[in-house]
Amino acid sequence: MKYISFLGTLLLTGALGVLVSLPFGQIPPIAPLLDPNHGFWQNSFSEDQLAEEALSLENLNAAVEVVYDEQLIPHIYAENELDLYRAQGYITAKHRLWQMEFQTRAASGRLSEIVGPMALELDRMTRRKGLAYGAEKGISYLTENDPATLALVEAYADGVNQYIAQLSDARLPVEYKILNYRPEAWSAYKSLLLLKYMSDMLVGDRDLEYSNLKKILGKVNLDRLYPEFPSENDPVIEKERVWDFTSLAPAKPDSLNYPEETLHLEPLVQPTEGTGSNNWAVSGKKTKNGNPILANDPHLSLNLPSLWYSMQLSTPQHTVKGATLPGALGVISGFNENIAWGVTNATKDTRDWYKITFQDASRKAYKYGKDWKPTEFRVEKIAVKGQEVFLDTVVYTHYGPVVYDQSFKSDRQDVNFALRWIVHQGTSNEQKTFIQLNKATNHEQYTEALKDYAAPAQNFVFASKSGDIAMRIQGKFPLKWKEQGKFFMDGADPRMEWQGYIPFEHNASTLNPERGFVSSANQHPVDSTYPYYVFDNSYEHYRNRRLNRELSRMEQITVEDMKGLQYDSYNLQAAESLPVMLNLLASYGESSKEAQKYLTDLKSWDFFADPAKKGQTLYSIWFAETSESIWRELMEQGAPVLRPNNYQTIALMSTFPEDAIFDVHMAEGIQTAQYHVRVGFDSLLVAMKNWESKEGDYGWADYKKTTIQHLVPNFKAFSVTEVYTGGGSGILNATGSRHGASWRMVVELGSTINAFGIYPGGQSGNPGSRFYDNFIPIWAKGDYVNFDLRKKVDQKGVLFKTTLK
Amino acid sequence: MKFLLFTLLSALLVVFLNIVSPYWVVMIALTVLAGLIRPSVWGGFFGGGLGMGLVWLGQTVYISAVTSSTLPDKMGALMGLGSGLSLMVLTAVLGFILGGCSGLLGVMFRNLVQKKRTDVYLG
Repeated sequence: MKYISFLGTLLLTGALGVLVSLPFGQIPPIAPLLDPNHGFWQNSFSEDQLAEEALSLENLNAAVEVVYDEQLIPHIYAENELDLYRAQGYITAKHRLWQMEFQTRAASGRLSEIVGPMALELDRMTRRKGLAYGAEKGISYLTENDPATLALVEAYADGVNQYIAQLSDARLPVEYKILNYRPEAWSAYKSLLLLKYMSDMLVGDRDLEYSNLKKILGKVNLDRLYPEFPSENDPVIEKERVWDFTSLAPAKPDSLNYPEETLHLEPLVQPTEGTGSNNWAVSGKKTKNGNPILANDPHLSLNLPSLWYSMQLSTPQHTVKGATLPGALGVISGFNENIAWGVTNATKDTRDWYKITFQDASRKAYKYGKDWKPTEFRVEKIAVKGQEVFLDTVVYTHYGPVVYDQSFKSDRQDVNFALRWIVHQGTSNEQKTFIQLNKATNHEQYTEALKDYAAPAQNFVFASKSGDIAMRIQGKFPLKWKEQGKFFMDGADPRMEWQGYIPFEHNASTLNPERGFVSSANQHPVDSTYPYYVFDNSYEHYRNRRLNRELSRMEQITVEDMKGLQYDSYNLQAAESLPVMLNLLASYGESSKEAQKYLTDLKSWDFFADPAKKGQTLYSIWFAETSESIWRELMEQGAPVLRPNNYQTIALMSTFPEDAIFDVHMAEGIQTAQYHVRVGFDSLLVAMKNWESKEGDYGWADYKKTTIQHLVPNFKAFSVTEVYTGGGSGILNATGSRHGASWRMVVELGSTINAFGIYPGGQSGNPGSRFYDNFIPIWAKGDYVNFDLRKKVDQKGVLFKTTLK
Repeated sequence: MKFLLFTLLSALLVVFLNIVSPYWVVMIALTVLAGLIRPSVWGGFFGGGLGMGLVWLGQTVYISAVTSSTLPDKMGALMGLGSGLSLMVLTAVLGFILGGCSGLLGVMFRNLVQKKRTDVYLG
């Protein structure tokens, strides 16, 4: 009997002990998660409660001092650069390890390892786009050409890895505990991969849609509805700029044949609308104190932990502060004792598609001119949680990877397109650019630093203490003949090849322009006199004009004025289109009481998208519904196409309201713009009735529901929802429901630097920390925290200090 | 008496050992402790259970108090349990069951060995 009860208890206890250590489906092992000494409870501590005076970091030449200010911003003081970046890796990992790892896993198409088969298609797409392939080439390039930068990137990796090696179960970020995996080693390759991932986030192309539109609309209508330059072009580089160089632009070959079939491929995921940024610098002659002021606010997906992590990095030679990207070295948008710089996305169609004609089913060769060129095969081994490894063979041509083929996302078995993209070329060195920018002291060094920068193309704004302001549109841009790459091209025709690259010296730039400011807001980079072909579908038409009008108007500018401009919520699109729409609406619908109420809201609205404004809510629905109605027939062609942009739609509505483009073929009679405005208004009434009965108030913030979402969307409790803040797409404060100002910085370059910054998140990546989301309320109100440079000896406002040795 | 002693020692063991060891090492240690002290069958179960369960409960209460963190509530929401309070209860219950079974196993083992020895002695 005793044997039986012993064995029974042994079995029971053993089984229990094992059972609580096992995951069940998506439920993590319960005992390690709940154990108060090692599980999630330990992630309740904020960083200041766990402060340590000294930590061990090997391979340092001298001790490194880390001083945290009251916002948990680390200020790292090292004796040399190798120590500095080793410490940057270590400290960044200490606060943001899970995020850095997760983002690089996403970038290398390895999410299925963690979350299972649900991410398999995403992973296949990531790999087929060739991000990892590009990063591998980048490492070989550094090894052969720039061992000095590679040594710094490796020091950073060593810092991250030393932190991982010291990591106890208790301190393991809570996401690992929930998803039940462990961090793996960091490497220089991953830092490069992260920068490739930024390209993926910021670069799009609409070649597929344009190819289809050309077929459906014909070239004449395409050019009319989708003009390459707007009637009122207000480009990044001022129009007055004279291009004093001889262009290398190639002439368009005669009688080109494009692939003719209408394509039913699924388009690549594009950067979400509203992804964009503002930056500008005003010269001392326009400011109250006579100092240049620089401002930057990149707009990205609003996520937690934030994409950005603030730091000050100091050696005896330089001190730099601003926003870093966890996983990359140095500061990405920031300032030092002499200069400040910032970035906005400078998109130009740098991604092109070539139709590949394979010799036979083996896909070992493809047609090129009169010859057959050999392909290469890259087998992607995708580990999938709970399943066997998935093997995906990707064919590489000299253009790049064949993304869509018989095995992936194409219902046409014979259609194969190769993707040509700067990201696949290993000859860029973005990491070096940032390391050099961090140390630059004047305009010459800033320009020199940008020479190594290829992608993602950015508008680099610049201001220096010595009084210079500048803007440079930097990226590696292919030399193209007019309209090259706007449509899918035939890869068998060598004339379709990129013709080289625009030389660095010919990239558009300006220094100290007459107007006293430089600015960019993702609009057209240049006016039509620039001698190279410039095209992209996503150029901005409103933020840029609002920004330049304000900067032209303003004099005696202060830092407070610049903060105000970053938070500016004036909706220029509404100001230009609402009067047109109200006019077309005329007395339609006025009999209804509800309609009268909404019309009163709209007519009394001042076009500012402030949180409480009802007019903004009504306008945004009404315009969206009107546009939807106008382009419905175009969008229902059965193949991927895209709408003309809002600017063009509004131009047509106001200038040619009776144009044939407004006619609905399915409906009787002849329709004009008025018809669509009224259809849109009816839809608005329906939408508002629904909203008011379900949600009640329709103030703008209540309607748009700005959400800052955890990187794992399922972890809803780790997101911050319904943030009360204004702004929206096409508005300087570009904060929509899921996108917006991901980092705001204003720097005045006087004898001492006066700097402010904020981002919607917090310095800690730990959802249990009080520093996880403490910046959000400050950000939502348009306020900032102080970002002045700190000296090692400064004692004021210190949260705690740690020595690495 | 043995029950109280065992409960107290179990609690101390969990407090100190659990800091450096995972839960399953603590379970083994509790089993050994029960074998050494040899409380009654019920005493082993409840002593180990209360020792581990109460300490775990106390630790969650302590952590929540000193950190004022919102994490327990967030985790509660994430796991579909509502608030952090239910996670405290769940942690305590889990600690109780793991500790209880470990204590019980120790007593059973001791009884088993003891029986053998008795046989040998009598024989």
